[in-house]
Amino acid sequence: MQILIYGTINSISLALFAIGFAMVYGVSRLPNFAHGALYVLSGFITWSFLNAVGMNYLLSIVLSMLATGIIGALIYQFVLIRVRGMEISEIMASYALGLAILEGLRWRGFRGMTYTLPSFIEGSTEIAGVSVDYQRLLVVGIGAAVVALLWLFTHYTRIGLALRGMAQDERAAMMLGIDSDRMAVVAMGFGSMLAALAAVVLLPLGNIVVEAGYNVLILAIAVCIVGGLGSWVGAVLAAFLIGFAQILTVVYLGAHYQMVVALLAIILTLILKPSGLFGQQKELEERV
Amino acid sequence: MLEASDLMVFYENMLALNNINIRCAQGQIVGVFGANSAGKSTLMYTLSGIMRDIQKKEQMAGGERITILGDVLYQGENISRLKPSQRARKGIVLCPERRRIFSESSVLENLKIGGYLASPAQARKTLRYVFDIFPALEKLKKRVGGFLSGGEQQMLAIGRAIMAQPKLLLLDEPLMGLSPLMQAMLMRATREIRDRMDISIIVTEQYARPVFPIVDYAFILENGAAVMEGTREELMDNPDVRSAYFGVEESHA
Repeated sequence: MQILIYGTINSISLALFAIGFAMVYGVSRLPNFAHGALYVLSGFITWSFLNAVGMNYLLSIVLSMLATGIIGALIYQFVLIRVRGMEISEIMASYALGLAILEGLRWRGFRGMTYTLPSFIEGSTEIAGVSVDYQRLLVVGIGAAVVALLWLFTHYTRIGLALRGMAQDERAAMMLGIDSDRMAVVAMGFGSMLAALAAVVLLPLGNIVVEAGYNVLILAIAVCIVGGLGSWVGAVLAAFLIGFAQILTVVYLGAHYQMVVALLAIILTLILKPSGLFGQQKELEERV
Repeated sequence: MLEASDLMVFYENMLALNNINIRCAQGQIVGVFGANSAGKSTLMYTLSGIMRDIQKKEQMAGGERITILGDVLYQGENISRLKPSQRARKGIVLCPERRRIFSESSVLENLKIGGYLASPAQARKTLRYVFDIFPALEKLKKRVGGFLSGGEQQMLAIGRAIMAQPKLLLLDEPLMGLSPLMQAMLMRATREIRDRMDISIIVTEQYARPVFPIVDYAFILENGAAVMEGTREELMDNPDVRSAYFGVEESHA
């Protein structure tokens, strides 16, 4: 039972890490290696609004998400757009930006165990004899809501449909009047906001530390590779696969091995089915 | 409506379009015929602005150097520097070669994405019209694009393009690989779209025969150059055109 509950919570956390990364990659084929940095950055922005400026918690969260979204969009508009379509350059440029953000934060003194965000709701409850705190339940609720809202957004709104069109065939989307550069900026903004959302929901469970940026990036990449790059359904499914695998490892092998699971998942996927669970675009293209 | 003058496109030093002048008047269906690699698709890409995007991407990746010369005048305005999305906004919509359906989206979704530029009311109206001329699509509207047959995909591609509210529709090889029955149906539909939506259409094709009945004016491309042009009647009477593009051998009488 414990495995089931904590496995679900862990899986949904992974899905939250990965969904922004998956969205940006899906729409503009950009592997955003600054994703983890944006996650940590938005944690510190929220902390600053809350403690240094003294704002109300909810307002800090909203502002921090907006700020992170804008930062992401600016990064795209001014840096990444120049290396568009060249994967290696995209990876290097975004990773360098991520490093700059993370190490910049460390340099400015954001380190140690002093930075924490308060939980939204204190306390805990018992589900089937397992004690779960409310914040973790909130993670599950918000994670599920994000996945559902994103699905609705991409299936029923004009912008969302345009993003999906672009994800499938950028040039065909252009012919229909969709401005691919602007849509890529929008996608990066949204993706960064999703990283920020993950941060404000998940960071109250621990400290805000710079190192989390690297872990989040690795986990997001692992989830997306296992799920099939560019497939959002695949990403959610892979999050559950890796999420449960991690919890099972913790229970049966020890917490040390938790990070190995994600890396092992990447390696196994690349050996067995390089396109991932749902990365079937190539096969479909060949049909035509 | 549209007037392109002195269009030249080079891929490195290879001449893909050689000094092409082409016109399409309001309400006309103009045919562009030519063999493989005659420059039909390059011409369509140049008119719709996709060539600019290809050029930009190649330049960024350090690939082929593409040079585009000449002017495209559309409703009296020089649009040759505009991006494809800006041209689409002005009403030039390309229905590309090989259809390029969004293969993971359903038929209905493909059409909805096509309606990006349309207002909600326009989109609803055009969607009804698309199902009106292509009833087959309505039955398949939940089907994923990648699992449609060639003919169904072509209907969808045309439907998706007219969802974008074109004033000038560019159809690049819409009949490729389709049965004669399907070809005839698509050409009837094309003419009906022109009449009903009051738009102009430029259509390219390798074989003139199935397209010819609906065109008002036609150009013939060879090796990137327009070697002949004329109204349907003028070209029909030309023996060279007849043998090369209709497969009709002149009798040796």
